[in-house]
Amino acid sequence: MIPKVAVVVFPGTNSETETVRICRDVGLDAQALHWTHASRIPEFDAYVLPGGFAYEDRIRAGAVPAHDPLMDYVIDAAERGKLILGICNGAQILLEAGLVPGTGAVRRPTAAFTYNGPVPHFVCRHVYLKLAVDPQRSPITAALPADALFPAWAAHGQGRLAASDEHLREIEQGAHLAFVYAHADGRVDDAAVPNASALRCAGLVNRQGNVLAIMPHPERDAWNYNHPDRRESEDMLAPSGGVRIFAAFAKALFST
Amino acid sequence: MLSRPPSSRTLRSFRVNGLDDVELAQAAARAGLALRVDELRRIAAQLGRDPTIVEVHAFDAQWSEHCSYKSSRHHLRKLPTEGPTVMQGPAEDAGILHLGEWNGERYGVVIAHESHNHPSQVVPYEGAATGVGGIVRDVLCMGAEVIALADPLRFGRVEDSQSHARYVAQGAVDGISAYGNAIGVPNIAGDVYFDERFDDNCLVNVVALGILKENEIIHSAAPPGAAGWDIVLVGKATDRSGFGGAAFSSVTLDEADEEANKGAVQVPDPFLKNVIMRATYAVFRFLRENNVTAGFKDLGAGGIMGCTAELCSSGGYGAIVDLDDVNTAVDDLPPEVIAVGETQERLCWILPGEVTAAVLSIYNQEFSLPAIAHRACATVIGAVQNEKRYVLRFGSEIVMDVPIDLLTGTIRDELPVRPMSERKVTDPARRYVVASESVPTLLPKVFSHRDVCSREPLYVRYDGVVRGTTVIPRGHSGAGVIAPVPGCPLGVALGVAGNPRFGKVDPFLAAQYAVLCAVQKVAAVGARPLGLTDCLNFGNPQNIGHYSEFVHAIDGLSIAARALGTPYVSGNVSLYNESSAGNAIPASPIVACAGALDDVAAVVTGGFKRPGSALFLVGAPQNAAGGAVFAELLDQTGGPLPPIDFEAVNAELAFLRAAADARLILAARAIGEGGVLAATCMMAFGSMEQFAIGAQLTDPQDWTGGVVGELEAYFGEWGGFVVETAQPDVLQRIAGKGVRLTQIGRTLAERSLRLHDAWFDLRDLAVAWRSPLAQVYP
Repeated sequence: MIPKVAVVVFPGTNSETETVRICRDVGLDAQALHWTHASRIPEFDAYVLPGGFAYEDRIRAGAVPAHDPLMDYVIDAAERGKLILGICNGAQILLEAGLVPGTGAVRRPTAAFTYNGPVPHFVCRHVYLKLAVDPQRSPITAALPADALFPAWAAHGQGRLAASDEHLREIEQGAHLAFVYAHADGRVDDAAVPNASALRCAGLVNRQGNVLAIMPHPERDAWNYNHPDRRESEDMLAPSGGVRIFAAFAKALFST
Repeated sequence: MLSRPPSSRTLRSFRVNGLDDVELAQAAARAGLALRVDELRRIAAQLGRDPTIVEVHAFDAQWSEHCSYKSSRHHLRKLPTEGPTVMQGPAEDAGILHLGEWNGERYGVVIAHESHNHPSQVVPYEGAATGVGGIVRDVLCMGAEVIALADPLRFGRVEDSQSHARYVAQGAVDGISAYGNAIGVPNIAGDVYFDERFDDNCLVNVVALGILKENEIIHSAAPPGAAGWDIVLVGKATDRSGFGGAAFSSVTLDEADEEANKGAVQVPDPFLKNVIMRATYAVFRFLRENNVTAGFKDLGAGGIMGCTAELCSSGGYGAIVDLDDVNTAVDDLPPEVIAVGETQERLCWILPGEVTAAVLSIYNQEFSLPAIAHRACATVIGAVQNEKRYVLRFGSEIVMDVPIDLLTGTIRDELPVRPMSERKVTDPARRYVVASESVPTLLPKVFSHRDVCSREPLYVRYDGVVRGTTVIPRGHSGAGVIAPVPGCPLGVALGVAGNPRFGKVDPFLAAQYAVLCAVQKVAAVGARPLGLTDCLNFGNPQNIGHYSEFVHAIDGLSIAARALGTPYVSGNVSLYNESSAGNAIPASPIVACAGALDDVAAVVTGGFKRPGSALFLVGAPQNAAGGAVFAELLDQTGGPLPPIDFEAVNAELAFLRAAADARLILAARAIGEGGVLAATCMMAFGSMEQFAIGAQLTDPQDWTGGVVGELEAYFGEWGGFVVETAQPDVLQRIAGKGVRLTQIGRTLAERSLRLHDAWFDLRDLAVAWRSPLAQVYP
């Protein structure tokens, strides 16, 4: 059985096409599921919440869609242990829904991806993500090597992790800090962070490990031609590093 | 279908007959009309009566320069519009160029170019955002998926943080960013210049690209057999915004009218547009699956009236529209506002009745438009009719009933033009620039010049990679490249050009350079230039000097495009870029070129790849330095613009393509502002973080035989390319006769620029290059 993945589309989502495409490229039966078909959510084995500006970022990115009735189904699926991956706006929604880091109650967020720092404007910049937890911490990352490094594109206006000191400590102590920003050579420092994110955070995972929120877009560095640091010898049409997180996601789904 | 009730003409008329010219001009001004007295008399004479209030506003929009091109159309005919790459010429909202074939399908690139200058000067955020929104609809309504944006921008002096020009420069970029990012279309190309002559009139031009298969084209006309078909309005509820927008764009800006002007600017809603675009893609699929031919057009200037009249008249039909059936945001809108107001985010379908319900359902149920924005929906507002009249009903009355061809037909203003002054042949050996500064002192100044320095602080605000198709994002070459069809090797390149400093010196040659530079940017990435779209931004056509600049620029655009074999498939004219004080912009013909890569894997990027490889100059340095940045920095005019040898350019473009196809080129960049040294250093900056490659250049005396001055050779803006290759012998062998190919140096395994008599740390130059715009865009 090929796992069925819903790429969940809210009004204002803008990255569903490339997200469906990369899920299919790694062998999943993926389709875009629009907000007017929310009741079909239980049919699927896993969910990807793609990038965009769901409900035009009203109040704060992710805040309104987190309260959309559609999210009742997603929250239910998360509690049943289904795998859920949120990218960019999808990550913001997962935080606002309280699913990630999941240290509070549902829809009572303990952290948010909010306005970039130091200057609060949209940033489109090529970045690298480094796995900052044991790969086995989440089924979605289980197939990755330790310290795995991925290329991705940051493209967001609200990607800075913000939380109280107490909640940031919870994130660190509970091993919720799944990804940090890094340089191409794997070094991690503030210069690698495009948005002044706390803990240099690029991604968070929930307690059970089945819900992963990633702020930059690995699906936009899926092919060598997407990758600005490419070398002359590379096959431009070959998969680039960004695809590896989706391959790991697919492997987890095929093995359940 | 609606029927026409017997009309007792009890409506408020706009009195024309019986008024003398002075009274009529006063009445027109009081009503906020841009129509001239002679035009009002012509309307009344053709109708045989005074027009109604609605009619006079309809003609005000349709006969505005913005809609009618009355003082430009006959000159625009000079532009070449045909060629083997043309799939759809400039008759509709957007043109289409043949990209290539794949899996038995012919793919087309849809391209359109628009200005939103006046609105952006008054309310920059909304003005620029609606510019993006409008051009996206122009591409969408051809049946295409929208795949890329570019934004040529011209702003005033931004050094003073309190200046209006700075406010405009920041607001316009934020508006473009907010709109383009939200709808999910990557911004892959653009340019920006700063000049005091844009203080009172910024230019915000926007280019959009779409992709479709040839058999998916939808025309902006009621198809044959459409009599009785439904006219379906889609989108935002009509409100008061944008009333008088077309006419507003066709007069000069006057500060005293600032408040009134603000009312003419439309209000963008990218969130709603995002949903409308996706719903429209679903409608395209539905119509294709059911083999339905339909007409489709976006609502722009002239609102519902302008769009429905043009859709129906270009199919040879008339139309009847019931304004009561229009979804309005408020309940008390007067009929002329509903009819010609330019509320954004609206489109119009001409559909056979049997599919209407299904299409309405896609918009209203499947994509739930009414739940997305207040009173947004798709709804039937009228019908196509055989009788060639344009009829509007409101309440129980007919508020407009005119021959449709009078409304949409061509009108023409003959305005006086000065002949072009005779040009002298430029003596190639003559020096125009006195070398009053040395290269080491001049180089950092050139790099930090506002027209040379890095644009990254600006374009970092644009999503350049949404859709996951971007091959060359902004900043990595002169042109952007995308691979728009998943799994397909076809690539699309897009470059824009139009140097206003050249426009000040010589509009005729500046126009040629706009074409040349746009084509060269596309050629530098290894793409085959397919065709062009132009946006002609000029001052008031009633001023003979400004109008002559416009006419001479068209001559230049025509000559260059014919010489390079690149036809125009769409375009836009923006006149009246002048404040009431008479401050006009420099002649600003802006050109975008779309190119094709048959195999995107052969793309050439702008960053150095390998230390120890050879650097070549393609093209010939010249002494003429008019409009060049370095001449301006030396406080000199620089003389005339360098003449262009199109025969040599064509040979060089063919050579570059062959070299790119043979994978001989590691990196290439078109030479623009800042000349060879800027191009070379940008190639080094492009890969500096990763590869740390610099360059060593030989004495420029050796490149030019001593005929051209050192500063002119290093910094001159005479076109051409810098090319990196690891196979210099092969490259030289395939360069045929007529290709001006000169080895000028090699790449180094260090972060330096070494000249024959000077050395620079590239990191210092990079700081000079990267910091200036960060002041404006922190």
